Amino acid sequence: MSTAAKHLSFVFACWKMNLAGAMEFRMSFWLQVVTMMVNNAVWIFFWGVYFNRFPLVNGWQMQDVMMMWAVSAAGFGFSAVLFGNAYSLANIVATGQLDTYLAQPKPVLLHVLVSRMSVSAIGDILFGLILFVLFGDLSWLGIVKFAVALCLATMIFTYFTVLTQSLAFYIGNAEGLGHQFFITFLTFATYPTDIFRGIGRMVLFTVIPAGFISYLPLGLLREMQTPFLLATVVAVTVLAVCATWSFSRGLKRYGSGNMMTVRM
Amino acid sequence: MSAIRVQGLTKSFTMKHKQPGLSGSIKGLFKPVVSEKVAVQPIDFTVEQGEVLAFLGPNGAGKSTTIKMLTGILHPSGGEADVLGYTPWRDRQRLAFHVGSVFGQKSQLWYHLPPVDTFELMGRIYEVPMNDFRKRRDDLVERFELGNYLHTPVRKLSLGERMRCEIAAALLHRPQIVFLDEPTIGLDVVVKAMIRDLIREMNREEGTTLFLTSHDAGDVEQLCKRVIVINHGQVILDDSVTNMKREYLTHKTIHLKLAVIPEQPLLLPGVEVVKQKGAGLKLSVNTVETSIETVLAYIVQNYRLEDVTIEDPSMEEVITHIYAKAGKEQGHESSG
Repeated sequence: MSTAAKHLSFVFACWKMNLAGAMEFRMSFWLQVVTMMVNNAVWIFFWGVYFNRFPLVNGWQMQDVMMMWAVSAAGFGFSAVLFGNAYSLANIVATGQLDTYLAQPKPVLLHVLVSRMSVSAIGDILFGLILFVLFGDLSWLGIVKFAVALCLATMIFTYFTVLTQSLAFYIGNAEGLGHQFFITFLTFATYPTDIFRGIGRMVLFTVIPAGFISYLPLGLLREMQTPFLLATVVAVTVLAVCATWSFSRGLKRYGSGNMMTVRM
Repeated sequence: MSAIRVQGLTKSFTMKHKQPGLSGSIKGLFKPVVSEKVAVQPIDFTVEQGEVLAFLGPNGAGKSTTIKMLTGILHPSGGEADVLGYTPWRDRQRLAFHVGSVFGQKSQLWYHLPPVDTFELMGRIYEVPMNDFRKRRDDLVERFELGNYLHTPVRKLSLGERMRCEIAAALLHRPQIVFLDEPTIGLDVVVKAMIRDLIREMNREEGTTLFLTSHDAGDVEQLCKRVIVINHGQVILDDSVTNMKREYLTHKTIHLKLAVIPEQPLLLPGVEVVKQKGAGLKLSVNTVETSIETVLAYIVQNYRLEDVTIEDPSMEEVITHIYAKAGKEQGHESSG
């Protein structure tokens, strides 16, 4: 078996374990999933009320906004379900919980990321998929484009979060800061990109690259805009390189700790 | 052949000093006072393959930091280390295939799932071929008597059951070296004895090199042949367990049961009455000053004896003595 195949087999085994662990508590599992779907539905209700009175928001139709929510919610959902520890990385580093991963013969970042699953994020995935079924283009091409959009969104969410949470290696307790970055990112990812102009728009495609997600309904799903797609692929690559580099470099500064820990 | 070779290995951490109170916190926000704390001063030692080594020291002595450097978890501030031909912090992944680690305070088992699931994942992590894995797992399950709770979620296991599973999980890939960091912490005497048996068996049958840290004197006495004592990041003793006991066995305890309550006090150089209850006495004898024979002869001559027991000091006392001695020497050095 090649190294890639071995890593893949290991990643699938971790995902299987996460899912099995999450399902240990049946009631909690369903409550978390349903609550998240209801939580997201409130926003859709809000946008429904808006489009009932106004047909457009800066050129965005209701279908575009619904697709933006579908991509953002399911993109985040896949990121938090498959790479759940990305969102707790700062805490893991600050409390010395990387020891277990470092003592085992697998790439540390990959191992940490796939070792946890957010149960509530399963609700985000289901919510995104339901929105796509209700408002999306269900042709083969439409489904493929939606799948590509989800992959890009998942990678952007994951790498951006790893990058911000890796600050813990350099500034100590970065849990709060990482959470603030995430909330800002999520907020911008769920508003039509075109309501922002000038510096605001520039920030969306640089410092807080949520624009690459929120513009996907127009730049990929409605019509394929090659420059935007290329820019998104470059952005994903840059984020991936920066996040991995920042984490690997941070490992040299890792100070461990003596907290008692278990793997949940 | 050496399994571990360490030369001048050292580790320092940067520490921020906070002054007391809220004003101290505010000052620290704008003008932090930082200093360097040396957790491990340059140390040298070698561990041979198949050896069972106790790596001892009080809390904060640098034991866990050293283990973490030897497993590649921490990068050292200086020095060299060679573990099975690898430099741990550079070849972490390759080394990890040959090393097992049990951290008493950090669990490798998935808390909400039964041990059997973690074992399977471990098999994939260490890339053990499926047939070998099944054979090895079944063997360990039998030896560690895990059959009854192999399918019980870890959160429902007792500490002793969990530790046995932890050790079994660390052995699935047949490691050449096992680092055991306080493997018997918090366990009752029966479970401790069982875990010690298993560790001994693993060393005897598979020739596994064992690197053990523990605060439990019994672990050292019953498992290890050699001991390294570290304090304030420095090696203060590197010797066989037998030599260590001999060197520090300068006191023996005598329990006496006399026929009648003694009228005259027991006055003998090097002998101290530690406790007296009626006709029962507990004596501490400094064997450098007075031999045990002299003391016994004196007692037989002057008292009517019913029963006598002579005890060596426990390993715990020996270790405490070493720490105290090292502490005094360091105190003299710094004051001189």
